[in-house]
Amino acid sequence: MTTATLLLWALALGMGLVARRRGDDSLREGVRAGLHTLRRTLLLMVVAFVIVGYVEVLAPQALVQDWIGPGSGWRGLVVAEAVGWILPGGPYVAFPLIATLYRAGAGLGPILAMITSWLMLGLISVGFELPFMGWRFTAIRWGMGVAMPLAVGGLAQWLLG
Amino acid sequence: MLPRSHRVDATLLALLCVALALAGLAWRQGGMERVQEGLERGGALLLWVAPLLLAAFLVAGFVQVLVSPHWVERWLGAGSGWRGILLACIGGALIPGGPYAYYPVAAVLLRSGASLGVLVAFVVAKNLYSGLRIPLEVALLGPRLTLLRLMLTLWIPPLMGFLAELLFGARVQAIRKAMGP
Repeated sequence: MTTATLLLWALALGMGLVARRRGDDSLREGVRAGLHTLRRTLLLMVVAFVIVGYVEVLAPQALVQDWIGPGSGWRGLVVAEAVGWILPGGPYVAFPLIATLYRAGAGLGPILAMITSWLMLGLISVGFELPFMGWRFTAIRWGMGVAMPLAVGGLAQWLLG
Repeated sequence: MLPRSHRVDATLLALLCVALALAGLAWRQGGMERVQEGLERGGALLLWVAPLLLAAFLVAGFVQVLVSPHWVERWLGAGSGWRGILLACIGGALIPGGPYAYYPVAAVLLRSGASLGVLVAFVVAKNLYSGLRIPLEVALLGPRLTLLRLMLTLWIPPLMGFLAELLFGARVQAIRKAMGP
């Protein structure tokens, strides 16, 4: 995880330099926007990590491995995709939960299917899509997307076995 | 639609209920000791990713300031065919903000004559490539899973845009009508 930390801090510093060279308020605005998001989601994240802690302590590893483990095949992909639809909250909640399931013995294929499913089919974002885009657009976009997490998970299992 | 602050409150409340239920489960399994174990485990994990999260939020803030939505809109509105779909994919990756920020942009584009394929590619690209979410994904899932996920989903937005245009592109008027006034 230290590579990721270094990478992100390098990125943040680089972008901070670009913002500074603009000579306007961009640097201060960027820091302010980032800290504002952090403040708004801090409580959510603390609770999310409490949940993650409990899931990790209580994790029925046998259950996770049985349903979405490396040998769970197509059934595991379908279950993982369905979990992705209903995973709660923003990335600060969903990503730690998915990481916990991965540590508890879920397979690479089902985990990638779950991430893909949550990103493009999550029912929470459909709540935003419907009022803005109408039901026909939402039905086409969501309906066509249903096959994609299975394809991603299947591809991962086939390529990385 | 609920305002943003209410949505967060509802999410927080739901999560609190889940946390409490899990704590109850832990208590039944092993008393206060087990309850404390879960809390300590969660706290340790949060401390472990805290420096990553701070950097991720700073990156998100800078993208928000440095990329203007008007710029993205100009490049998306003009295109059609494969060029439009590929531009939509890039635009979806670059446009900052949550669903309350990009769905209004997408709706304006669809109403003002952009094709169905362009909009499907735009929304799916935002979902899958969003430059703002990737730092968080790296922080919370690790670089290996994130890289694999990106590589394996790279083909989805252009393909879905192309297929949507091919299958339903002719009915774009009915789709616009379903958007309401």
